[in-house]
Amino acid sequence: MPPSSPQTAPHPDGVSRRDFLRKSAVLASGLAAIAASLAPLRELTDATSVEEFLQKHYKEMSPAEMEAALERIRREVQKQYGLRPHLADLKPMDGVEFVYALNLTRCVGCRKCVHACVAENNQSRSPEIQYIRVLKMPNGTFDVEKGRHDYAPESVPEKGFYYMPVQCHQCKNPPCVRVCPVKATWQEPDGITVIDYDWCIGCRYCEAACPYWARRFNFTEPGIPKDKINPDMSYLGNRPRHKGVMEKCHFCIQRTRAGRYPACLEVCPTGSRKFGNILDPNSEVSVILKTKRVFVLKEEVGTLPRFFYYFDV
Amino acid sequence: MTNDSKSNWTLAALAAGFLGLAGAFAFTKPGAGFAPAPIPPVDPQFTNTATVRMSAAELARTGGDVSGLDCLACHDKGKTLVLKVDAANHAILPKEHEDLVMRHGRNDRNDNCFNCHDPVQLDLLVTRDGRKLKLTDSTLLCGNCHGPTLRDWEAGIHGRTSGHWDRARGPIERQDCVSCHNPHSPAFPEIKPAPGPHPLHPGAPALSGESKGP
Repeated sequence: MPPSSPQTAPHPDGVSRRDFLRKSAVLASGLAAIAASLAPLRELTDATSVEEFLQKHYKEMSPAEMEAALERIRREVQKQYGLRPHLADLKPMDGVEFVYALNLTRCVGCRKCVHACVAENNQSRSPEIQYIRVLKMPNGTFDVEKGRHDYAPESVPEKGFYYMPVQCHQCKNPPCVRVCPVKATWQEPDGITVIDYDWCIGCRYCEAACPYWARRFNFTEPGIPKDKINPDMSYLGNRPRHKGVMEKCHFCIQRTRAGRYPACLEVCPTGSRKFGNILDPNSEVSVILKTKRVFVLKEEVGTLPRFFYYFDV
Repeated sequence: MTNDSKSNWTLAALAAGFLGLAGAFAFTKPGAGFAPAPIPPVDPQFTNTATVRMSAAELARTGGDVSGLDCLACHDKGKTLVLKVDAANHAILPKEHEDLVMRHGRNDRNDNCFNCHDPVQLDLLVTRDGRKLKLTDSTLLCGNCHGPTLRDWEAGIHGRTSGHWDRARGPIERQDCVSCHNPHSPAFPEIKPAPGPHPLHPGAPALSGESKGP
């Protein structure tokens, strides 16, 4: 034990004043350094709020709790994007089951549906999230492994190819729902498979289970310019998502449950996209399924899609 | 070394370490290491819902320039027009109508103006069975030859729709044949495709290719 200097000789019954001061100075600077190094946490403005953390599952919320959740989301959207959205929780309608039909004879592969969807559903622009993937397929095959989605010619359609847009098929037997460990995704009575973005834990099992590559993951906080936000929102539909949750096509739930057509259908310049209530025998989709040749993508996997491809001839 | 001085040294080292960390955080933004390539905003032309062309009815409704539809500005009223044809029996367009692209039907077989236009009343259309139709009713004229397509159009499964699928909530909006098809060259025109998906890491191998897909 080295001898201590006479000035700092320990007090007979405890610490010397100098020792105390030195120790407390070291302790204080240590604590200050820890506080300073935690400073980046103050920039974490998008942390989950207590309200969001304590929010119940969609199906367990009472109307009052749902209204509180909607109000919280309205507040958050206003804070982040500077506008108050028309946010609602639209419920499925009785006697309605949605079906989509897409005319492969007419589609020219212009990708307008892709971008109308992005604009309608508040998808992240940077990094990019798109629900619809248009495959350029060589004539004479339905082998999607021969398809390409990165074509960029001067004009479409190109000779010798046809175009097959793929998006969520809203399956009647959805593998994505079955694998979800927290029941954050489920099938609604009108056939739309929805996601509660506040309940999703981001495990991406559903993405792996989907045979149509229809689900997308928010790897980063979505980047949407303030002037590009669509204020017409629905809880299970196009309200802004957070980093770390899944999203996918929901047949524009905020439009279709209000009786309107989806955005991708309205923008299609060739009228290849058809949508309606399959339980209505006179709806467009009912007539198509009765009178046209219909093709189901990956029929052999047994997902029973509500999305059909058809041909004119 | 005493236990006291040892703990003093440990505390001092920890403090120095944390101060260094604080300094590092002060000079670097968290998460700044990954910067995805900026993606330019999509041209608004790819999200607008306009048709590729305008029918006479649409032109009149939206207050567009309909002077091109006024036949009597040049032609005499009531005078029967005669079509000039070349040796191969193809129509010879007068120079006032040279801008028309005559490509209706395979092998340009339907290039006789008066298959559809009335040779006397020029602002009317005439069907194969002699009924006369206004320019704004051209859908019925097209259906004269394209029966199955007209049947599909009437059922809503050919051509563009917008508005409401639920007729109880609102109307459906339909388009005439000539809102998308040029009657003189009806094949749907080739158009410029919207930009494809941007890879998260440019330069990395494409997600899809001849061997990969969804």
